[in-house]
Amino acid sequence: MVLQLYGFPTSTCTLRVALVLKEKNVPFKFHMVDLAKGEHKAPGFVAHQPFGQVPYIVRTTRDDDGLVLFESRAIARYIATKYASQGTALIPTDAKKLPFFEQAASIETSHYDPFVSGLAWELRFTTWFGGKTDEAHVKSLHAQLKNKLDAYEVILSKQKYLAGDEITLADLFHLPYGAVILADDIKIDEFSSRPNVNRWWKDISSRPSWQAIKDGLKVE
Amino acid sequence: MVVKIYGHAIAPAVKLVVQVCKEKEIPYEVVPVAVYKGEHKTPAFRQFQPFGQVPYIDDDGFILYEYRAICRYLVKKYEGQGTPGLIPNDPKSEALFEQAASIEYANFYPFALGLVTEKIIKKHRGLPADEARVDEYLKTLEAKLDAYNDILGKQAYLAGETLTLADLFHLPYAAIVIEELRCDVLKGRPNVARWWETISARPTWQAVKDTA
Repeated sequence: MVLQLYGFPTSTCTLRVALVLKEKNVPFKFHMVDLAKGEHKAPGFVAHQPFGQVPYIVRTTRDDDGLVLFESRAIARYIATKYASQGTALIPTDAKKLPFFEQAASIETSHYDPFVSGLAWELRFTTWFGGKTDEAHVKSLHAQLKNKLDAYEVILSKQKYLAGDEITLADLFHLPYGAVILADDIKIDEFSSRPNVNRWWKDISSRPSWQAIKDGLKVE
Repeated sequence: MVVKIYGHAIAPAVKLVVQVCKEKEIPYEVVPVAVYKGEHKTPAFRQFQPFGQVPYIDDDGFILYEYRAICRYLVKKYEGQGTPGLIPNDPKSEALFEQAASIEYANFYPFALGLVTEKIIKKHRGLPADEARVDEYLKTLEAKLDAYNDILGKQAYLAGETLTLADLFHLPYAAIVIEELRCDVLKGRPNVARWWETISARPTWQAVKDTA
């Protein structure tokens, strides 16, 4: 049975998983979870994802009793590992390179995600739920993002990607929220002014896998 | 060879790396970095850690930063000694470990760190806490811990029936939130309380937690 992906068509974390499925040429069936109707907080959903968040996957095969997995980066790692021999190699197997992948994966979660997701929340998503933008918080997040990307600029001046000279999951993880803050309603561009960051961003964002899904997943 | 951990000994992230070294019986040395003098922000330090933060390690010339990455590296390198299974090897258990590791940094860490920043770090810098933000962090953290309580009602640890790195990742910031800030987050969450008591009672953590 084909891998089942439960999520929302334009949700950043859902797209993070879909992106990796595309890179690894793994077929999947997308099921839309109706966030507006609160489907993600319903008991049937929470039984699979106790935090009431999208996405999660279900994978059943003949040889195992099935796997339900949540947390987009964990799902991505699972796909990259399980399908290591097809599509793009996204997690190094070389014991000397693996630590740098883990370092890069941690960089994304500590030095990028809190700021870009915070900005996305304040400048787009909070208004969807009737909230108000906290301008002081936006200013603080933006300033911190600039500092962090200055460090990225140094790292990427010495190597092509965040973990070394080969692309890994860690690079791809940046795409969904990066695209949100660059979008017309937010327009925070801290990539173009930094030559190495800009080179790296253009590289990863032009990948066919991202281009195929960046505008959202189709509900069948 | 002795692993050199560059950092301030009382920093939560440094304490965790030390704790993992103890779990895996790895000889280590904490090399002090004068954070109060801003040593971690100097160009010389940033050569090793471009974000200007502690810790980084020097393992016989091999430099690595980001404390969760450091812990993963040490656990994998010394797989054959000390506490086993901190990162599982079989595919299904490994996937559930990665899920648990992601739960820690996505559903626990931001809110715990937020509380620590408002109530401790800001105080150090002579800045007032944003009480509205504190309430928000606490409320969110408590909701997240309700989910933890469900998960831990079905299994002993976050990734399954055995202890993994994902549980240990919680130690330094959970200790501050629960014991130092005395946030009453275990109340009404008996499974979380059981899990916390178990992992925080580990002798390796007891040996490190009160480093001054």
